[in-house]
Amino acid sequence: MSEIVHPSPARRLAGGRLLGSSQLVLAVILAALCIAISLAAPQFYSEANVIAILRQCALVLIVASGMTMLIITAEVDLSVGASLAFVGCIGMAVLNATHSLTLGILASLAFAGGVGLVNGLVVTRLKVNSLIGTIGMMMMLQGGVYLFTREAVQNHHQLSSFTGLGAGYVGPIPMPVIFAAAIFIIAYVTLRFTTLGRYLYAVGANEKAVRLSGLRSERLKLLAFVVTGLCVGIAGMILASLMNAGQPTAGRGFELTVIAAVILGGTSLLGGRGSLFGTLLGVLVLKVIDNGIIILGWNQDLQMVVPGVVIILASYLDIVRNKANVR
Amino acid sequence: MKQLKSVLFASAALTLAALPAQAQNMPKRIGYVTNYATHEWYQNVIKGMQARAKELGIQFEVQDANLDIAKQVAAAEDFMAKGVDVLIVTPVNEEGVVPLLRQAKSNDTPVVLEGNPVKGMTTMVAICDYDTGYFSGVEAGKYAKEKLGGTAKVMNVGLPLLSATVLRSQGFMDGLKTIVPEAVMVHDLDGGGNPDRALEVSAAALAKNADINIIYGINDSSSLGGLQAWKAAGKSQDALLTVGTGGEGLAFINAMEKEPSYRIEAAMFPEKEGYTAIDAAVKLFNGEEVPEHIVSPTAPMIGEDWKKFYDYDASTRSIKWDAVNALKAPEKCMKTAADLK
Repeated sequence: MSEIVHPSPARRLAGGRLLGSSQLVLAVILAALCIAISLAAPQFYSEANVIAILRQCALVLIVASGMTMLIITAEVDLSVGASLAFVGCIGMAVLNATHSLTLGILASLAFAGGVGLVNGLVVTRLKVNSLIGTIGMMMMLQGGVYLFTREAVQNHHQLSSFTGLGAGYVGPIPMPVIFAAAIFIIAYVTLRFTTLGRYLYAVGANEKAVRLSGLRSERLKLLAFVVTGLCVGIAGMILASLMNAGQPTAGRGFELTVIAAVILGGTSLLGGRGSLFGTLLGVLVLKVIDNGIIILGWNQDLQMVVPGVVIILASYLDIVRNKANVR
Repeated sequence: MKQLKSVLFASAALTLAALPAQAQNMPKRIGYVTNYATHEWYQNVIKGMQARAKELGIQFEVQDANLDIAKQVAAAEDFMAKGVDVLIVTPVNEEGVVPLLRQAKSNDTPVVLEGNPVKGMTTMVAICDYDTGYFSGVEAGKYAKEKLGGTAKVMNVGLPLLSATVLRSQGFMDGLKTIVPEAVMVHDLDGGGNPDRALEVSAAALAKNADINIIYGINDSSSLGGLQAWKAAGKSQDALLTVGTGGEGLAFINAMEKEPSYRIEAAMFPEKEGYTAIDAAVKLFNGEEVPEHIVSPTAPMIGEDWKKFYDYDASTRSIKWDAVNALKAPEKCMKTAADLK
């Protein structure tokens, strides 16, 4: 839980400028990466590659939108990767049984939202640290999915609307990008322009003060866990559609990519600070690096190394920013 | 009376003569420590072992190391303490199992390895990875000549981390070039052996250069990840061939039934590998000579060929033992991991 003192308006303004400048730095890094890769490999800025990058960003951005809200409240969810795999299997099984896309999606959302709810209850009621609690949930889901199915759940329903979730287009824009954009906008407006958004920041910045002012901080955290879960539900169905199967082995390391993007975007693990625009930039930077390594024909092991380096650098930047805020 | 004695003697002699062929001394218990029971390949290896052990009246137990060498050693020690007659192990890592082999030797417990070789082993049951890739490459070449205008531009969704999967990719290209000598590998990718990673790297590679007409995957997840990336990019499967490897689960059957480009599967029959491992265990128990590498057969399946080897009822598959047991395995592999060094 964060014990950061809520900054005064003047300091908040200074912090806001700093945050803005960190996003500017990130935007410059992103632009530099794009230019450098384009110069080395002109195919990078081809329409096909831009679409491929956006599609790869979509799943991460969907879950990162919820995760940003959660980390702003000073909590984290490490079970999103395991939940992503389980959601796909459940969604596909329900689709096979009912041949109804609506029921398949509802089942996925109910499951993933339920996982978020349980995570939230474990953290807020049982007072288990979210890092530990969600590792426990991750292990349960990783084992549980094999109790549910030993094999990938194949597509026996052949619903074209389901295929469209992952592989469809609206004009030149892939469907997953449209879903991601919609969720991003909803989350952005919520955090930036609503009272609920301000409460989420306040819970992360100083939970004690929030409680003393009469707000139920546990409920706000619970909500953030459920929202993250629901985002996983949507991403899980899109992934199942893209792979045309519910894969129990999917989503390995997905949680790390999501958290790395959020932290890289300037959201503090201590809570109370962060922005969705920063998260968007973080997702883009990570995925452009990922894509660039393949486009440039570099050793793909770097795709594991680079996010690791990025997480450490981003955490260090977070510390530097905290110190600057205190000054 | 004398005639009756002769008949009885002759019958007894015939019975004794028939014994070694029909009923070797059977081990009472065999323990198997797998390395990763959640993977479809190992689930089907276990099914094959269970089927053969049941047929021979052997009590069969399985423990999963879950990719943890310490857990694997502990499970094997437990089996030896319980007094299993033969131990079968799929090594989690090759060095880690060496002390276990020594321990089993001092305990007089014969050990059959499945999948990967280990220094000091008595015998190992495994497929030939290079040959598996090679023969599917030959079939892909024939297909390319007939249906793709004789060109072969390959996207290899590989796994450079493992020598076995490197051998498959090499074998595929070598086999393909016997029919289409100018075949080229346009993309050599690390798909991580899992479908979402394969999808992601394939999508990026196709965005860079989509001028390919063959997707080769070192396992079914890899080939399917590549194919899904192709479909997600809005491309038609009309002039595409997808070749999978493994046939470890239901995914390839589904793909061969529903995806027009998924025409060749390099089947590795995990059930047969399990079956063969039990037979090897029986031989070791009886002190028979066994080769260091007992090759388990593989075969490229084209189009509807899979129906010769499997029954499928939309939720489970069952192997047709007569067809699979009729496959001839080579005496030795064309290339092994040693040839990569």
